Amino acid sequence: MKILIVEDEPKTGDYLKQGLTEAGFVTDLARDGWDGLELAKAEHYDLMILDVMLPGINGWQVLEGVRRAGIAMPVLFLTARDQVEDRVKGLELGADGYLVKPFAFAELLARVRSLVRRGHAGLEPAALKTADLELDLLRRRATRAGRKIELTAKEFALLELFLRRKGEVLPRSLIASQVWDMNFDSDTNVIDVAVRRLRAKIDEGFESKLIHTVRGMGYVLETLPEEAAP
Amino acid sequence: MKTLSLTARISLLFAVAASLVLLTTGYFLTQVVDAHFEEGDRHELNGKLELIQNLFMHASSQKDLDLLPQQLDDALVGHHGLAVVVTDATGEIWFATSGADFPQTLLNECQAQPAGCTTGTLQQWIQSGMNYRGMAMSMTIGNGKPYTVAVALNIQHHIVFMDKFRSVLALAIALAALATAGLGWIATRWGLSPLRQVTHMVAGISAERLADRLSATGLPTELKPLATAFNAMLARLDDSFRRLSEFSSDIAHELRTPISNLMTQAQVALSSARNKDEYKEVLYSSLEEYERMAQMVGDMLYLAQTDNRLLKPGLEKVDLAHEIQDLFDYFDAWAEEHAVSLIQTGSATVSGDRLMLRRALSNLISNAIRHTPPGQTVRVSLGRHGDAVTVSVENPGTEIPAEHLTKLFDRFYRVDPSRQRKGDGAGLGLAIVKSIVDAHGGSITVTSYDQKTRFQITLPALAK
Repeated sequence: MKILIVEDEPKTGDYLKQGLTEAGFVTDLARDGWDGLELAKAEHYDLMILDVMLPGINGWQVLEGVRRAGIAMPVLFLTARDQVEDRVKGLELGADGYLVKPFAFAELLARVRSLVRRGHAGLEPAALKTADLELDLLRRRATRAGRKIELTAKEFALLELFLRRKGEVLPRSLIASQVWDMNFDSDTNVIDVAVRRLRAKIDEGFESKLIHTVRGMGYVLETLPEEAAP
Repeated sequence: MKTLSLTARISLLFAVAASLVLLTTGYFLTQVVDAHFEEGDRHELNGKLELIQNLFMHASSQKDLDLLPQQLDDALVGHHGLAVVVTDATGEIWFATSGADFPQTLLNECQAQPAGCTTGTLQQWIQSGMNYRGMAMSMTIGNGKPYTVAVALNIQHHIVFMDKFRSVLALAIALAALATAGLGWIATRWGLSPLRQVTHMVAGISAERLADRLSATGLPTELKPLATAFNAMLARLDDSFRRLSEFSSDIAHELRTPISNLMTQAQVALSSARNKDEYKEVLYSSLEEYERMAQMVGDMLYLAQTDNRLLKPGLEKVDLAHEIQDLFDYFDAWAEEHAVSLIQTGSATVSGDRLMLRRALSNLISNAIRHTPPGQTVRVSLGRHGDAVTVSVENPGTEIPAEHLTKLFDRFYRVDPSRQRKGDGAGLGLAIVKSIVDAHGGSITVTSYDQKTRFQITLPALAK
């Protein structure tokens, strides 16, 4: 998976590159719009992360150039300006996502993964499975080691999200948005409580724990032999 | 184009109005005097004609007829400026006073149509520089012979008088117009002096002296509303100004604590060698501060956008009962942990922005849950009163002292300043609620008594 990062802010660029590389992506970093456009045309990428304010030509112009060149890779915009018009403009130009600075790195990672995955979408499975946990999506039933687990509708949705994004760290804001359709930061620990309850239902009494807390980032569903995530 | 000053306008208007009134009066006056003269002339001429008719009527024989000119002369003697001409049927002059020189038309007309000439129409003409007014009449004398008698008056003295009258009048009008313009100027200057006074006062008010007010005493009635309106505007400006500067200083204060924490932490961490876990701990702790700051900045931006109408509420039908159910769903686990139950009653639909309303309700509900003692219930009730929809969120718990109630919606306001760092957010939650409600054209109030706190939102209802 190859990602092109176009970001002029030196620190942000470096950390994005480092973070994404460490998350297992191959990354190239362009420091201005012209370089970004050149690279996008010259090589094949699975995703482009594009800052809006760039020296030379801005992110929108880069996107226009990319689309004019007939390149259909997904594009994720990063911006410090959160204006509805900007959002609309970006989406009109064919951007696939929009993230406002400051953002949680886990959020960026989750968005990147889902965009990259979209390019390689497969069939919708009828059941999700990890280790001895099984989720029957048609009958809305969850079982672990053959034992039925009683879940509320939201708990089921939460578990489904974890299973679909197995191995990905899910930030709280993403969970709130995906499961409850709450697209704003809440100053409560609602998500923590909900995850804690889900955890009690699926992990309690089992030797290997599935849902793990990633401190400072969010939660992840993983079949790890050891107790804590990195 | 240069705009005329008020004084010039009003003076000009005065002058024009006065001239118009005087001109009209003058015109009618001239007409009346003229008509009076004409009436007098007609009366005199008629009298003369009657006299002549009388003489003619009594002249039945030729002898009488021969005497007639003498009689006429006698009758008309002493009437200066009066001329008489008598012609017979053939148009030949039978009698004429000296100097009488009638226009032939006057006589001819009467000869041509004797029947139409019996009453005599007054005519006016100019002859050798003199103005005359006269009339002709056909009459028969005793023996039945028709004659045409014409009498005329020299009215030159009337004309001279009228000319003089007109020129005096014109002069008077011109002088009066000038005088009114002058008076108008003085009156305007005097009348507008309070305005200059107000201007002077207004000019003295600067951003630093927004607390100053115009004094309405001593101002004329018309200017009092202006002063009142201006003062109201000043009050609003002053309020906004004060809020703005308070807000900036609040932001600075709010950011100071986390920045100071971060700096101290980093400096202490770097001051001596530590193991990996200790560094990690520092980073985690910093992350929490960063997140808090990011949320605060995000909330502030959101507030600025709603306040400045950059976020316009989209107009869609929002089923509030449904939204509240969704929010209850969201807060369910959390509320259960606090041993707080959630109850919703009633239903209502409004037109607005679903996301914004959801955010506002979310803030109110989470706030209510947080302040409810374990084992008790948060009640959200929806209702419709006339053309307004009310949403009230009520929670049992310690009353909020009255002095805090009005400030509750202010940014960064906290009832208990020490609660700041306990995960209660940045103190912007209720400010955001108010901002969203305002953007929807609604209002929000809060009451707290009997161990109950109740927030009530009023929104315009959907038109049925």
